[in-house]
Amino acid sequence: MKSTLQIGNDEKFNASLFFFVIAAAQVGVGIHGFQRVVVKDAGHDAWISVILAALFSHIVVFFMIKTLELYPSNDLYGIHLDIFGKFIGSIVNIIYVLYCTFAFYSVIKNYIEVINTWVFPDLSQSFITTVLLILVIYAFTGGLRVMLGVCFFSFMTGLWILIVVYMPLKYAHYNHLLPLFGHDITSIFKGAYSMTFTIVGFEVINTLYPYAKEKNKVQKYVHLALLCTLFIYLSVILVSLVYFSEAQLERTLWATLTLFTVIKLPFIERIEIIIICFWTIIILPNLCLFAWSAYRGVKRFKNVKGTTFIWLFSILMFIANIPMQSRTQIDDINNFFAQIAFVIVFLYPILLYIMASLKNVLRKGGRKNEKG
Amino acid sequence: MFREPKKNATNSNEQQNKEEPEKLPIPASKREFLDVLKEKVHSPADLVIKNISATVTIVYLDFLIDGKILNEQILPILEKEQSAPPKTIKEKLPIAEIDLSAELNKSVLEMLIGAVLIHSEGHSELVIAKISSYQSRGLSAPENESQVIGSQVGFNENLATNISLIRRYITNPNLCNEKFTLGKDTMTSLSVLYIDGIASEQHVNTIRQRIEDLDISDLLDSAVLSELIDDNSFSMFPQLLLTERPDRFCDGLLSGKVGIVVNGSSMAILCPYTFIEFFQSREDQNLRWQIATFIRLLRFMAMIISIFFTPIYVAALTFHYEVIPQPLLVPLSESRAIVPFPPIIEALVLELIIELLREAGARLPTKVGQTIGIVGGIVLGTAAVEAGITSNILIIIIALCALASFTTPNYLMGNVIRILRFPIIILAGFWGFFGVMLAFCFLIIHLLRQSSLGAPYMAPIYPPRWKDWPDSFIRMPLPFISRQSVNSRAQSNNQETNENLAKEEKVIR
Repeated sequence: MKSTLQIGNDEKFNASLFFFVIAAAQVGVGIHGFQRVVVKDAGHDAWISVILAALFSHIVVFFMIKTLELYPSNDLYGIHLDIFGKFIGSIVNIIYVLYCTFAFYSVIKNYIEVINTWVFPDLSQSFITTVLLILVIYAFTGGLRVMLGVCFFSFMTGLWILIVVYMPLKYAHYNHLLPLFGHDITSIFKGAYSMTFTIVGFEVINTLYPYAKEKNKVQKYVHLALLCTLFIYLSVILVSLVYFSEAQLERTLWATLTLFTVIKLPFIERIEIIIICFWTIIILPNLCLFAWSAYRGVKRFKNVKGTTFIWLFSILMFIANIPMQSRTQIDDINNFFAQIAFVIVFLYPILLYIMASLKNVLRKGGRKNEKG
Repeated sequence: MFREPKKNATNSNEQQNKEEPEKLPIPASKREFLDVLKEKVHSPADLVIKNISATVTIVYLDFLIDGKILNEQILPILEKEQSAPPKTIKEKLPIAEIDLSAELNKSVLEMLIGAVLIHSEGHSELVIAKISSYQSRGLSAPENESQVIGSQVGFNENLATNISLIRRYITNPNLCNEKFTLGKDTMTSLSVLYIDGIASEQHVNTIRQRIEDLDISDLLDSAVLSELIDDNSFSMFPQLLLTERPDRFCDGLLSGKVGIVVNGSSMAILCPYTFIEFFQSREDQNLRWQIATFIRLLRFMAMIISIFFTPIYVAALTFHYEVIPQPLLVPLSESRAIVPFPPIIEALVLELIIELLREAGARLPTKVGQTIGIVGGIVLGTAAVEAGITSNILIIIIALCALASFTTPNYLMGNVIRILRFPIIILAGFWGFFGVMLAFCFLIIHLLRQSSLGAPYMAPIYPPRWKDWPDSFIRMPLPFISRQSVNSRAQSNNQETNENLAKEEKVIR
């Protein structure tokens, strides 16, 4: 196969790193306010929706890795080229690159929105975009090793926020959760669908998989990472549900951040301001990984250097940032992105797996015939 | 990229010259020889020429040689052996390091190191008796890396003494010593030391390669060398360790690092080194593990406080008043009420004063240094608060940060931590906590990008090498610690066989 990636042993990574990478890639801007969209559909049973969404992601990841296992040294782009041929495969690749670009854009936009609303109302959007892009460029030019390192540190240094999440529990009203299954199954499924924007991120495995050292262990760590993020999302949604009333949640844009405002420590108040600023390092892995995924795809068309790519990419992002400024526009972006992501991340991999295994069976059959 | 190691260079005291100077034959006649020699060394005042007899002449540089050996062992025999050929003289002289040479340039070099040249009329060969004596200070306790428990000896400026110190610590035939000479104008000799079988061959090759690729005119200190051979000269962070403690140096060698000792410098280089290891001290292994762990964690906390505390203060007081709880806000604003400057200026000025005090203290003699401490610390501080130029809470914070930065066991790393504060304070003054976070992210990415001899700088945290964690920012009991960190381990699965093979090879040679 011409499209096979040539990856030296030095460039590969321990499978255990995938735990941190996937966990860091999943947690991003979505967690600031996913309660509103989920509660709108599922009401106080939103936590069941979260579990359901996580379950779907487990299934999808299972199929993703099964597909990738059919091509041990190839990423999603190579698989496309192999299954669909050069022309259609390239089109599918372009779509996936655009998806990654869009994800990058959406993360930056949402973060700027949060900073502008909560911390610095007057800080220029272009300025925040520029500094974030500079950080991404600096990490990107260091290579994949540095980017995965950012994921690792992002996960490790961000763990303390999890403790803060539980602090509002002293104001909790546990009867908000009752009655269980107060909503019908379709609304719960709808709620799970609304989780898409928050839960995506694990699709970076599509492009990262060939870089794993022990391929057979990757699956274990990715599923562990999904469990870990499920724990985080579940904690956040449960605490929000018992702290807020349902009507309140539907009207709160960033319920998680509002949750943090009530926390009072002896030396710090309004801890959400610190957390929002701290979120820079939480979204950095998302940005790096999406940029890198896009880069892998672009490399299939034209052999550009990483440095050239990331500069062009950053300039594009900077320009794209200018026209979209209002909250409604960002909401539209998020909804649109969620729809695309649902198709690309949740439906398409299963379809791809079926096609890939069919092709595999056909190829084996063909080889047998040739031999016979 | 990696060459085969030069086997013949190991364990030999041969002088290696990277570029051989043109070969000059030695004139057979005495007069001609002396003329050429004088011209070569520009007849310095300390050149001693002594005619033993009509034929035999000895030449040496005063003060470089051991006069006692010359008087007691060389002169009597030479006086007995009138007009003997060089070969006989060589055999007769009871000196261990003695050589014959037919080449002038090399002989001159030997003389400059401290050898006596013996010329015999009619022979175009010289006897070189190496009886150099070094003027060096005695061994003393290390000044900059003091420790309470543990050995109290430090390196001095003499290469031979330092190597003998190291050999006293490590009695091991596998301890390899490769000699290099660097600097066209100084001809500084330096030794690369490592333990065969423990040190990674790849690291040894890299060091060898980098030293041989250097083209410098002079080398006066190992600190200069460490900057010349490190991975990224643009980074503020030190990537190789400079230590003046032989026990720390040997500890490094035994855990698989490569060491470099430079003549004339009391600091030895150890590499590859990681960020975490700069915050460890040799003493940690001498203490009980609980206490050592506590002290290590304290140091890391001190580092974080030292870098981020002042910026956080500046950020909170400039932009985020709401973060500070009411009871704390009252004393803060009271102390700041009469201060006319914004927090960023106030903090920068105070940080600069602390830096001035430190620099003045470092340059002045010890006795005056104490006065500076009192004048600077007490008089300046109190007066500044009373005059209303700074708030006393900020003085507390700045003093705390300065104190915290001095807990770093490594002076170079401590410097970096202090200097890092200035850009972060400026960022905090402009963009509050967001600016501090930008600096934090930048710092993490920067550290992740660094490497030391190609080994990752942030190991064992990233890439996560769980096996090395017991001896990183904590120290577990000694049985749990693997002696060699993965970073500097020899790349062989079967280490013991390799060691045995290496041993056999040495014996055969």
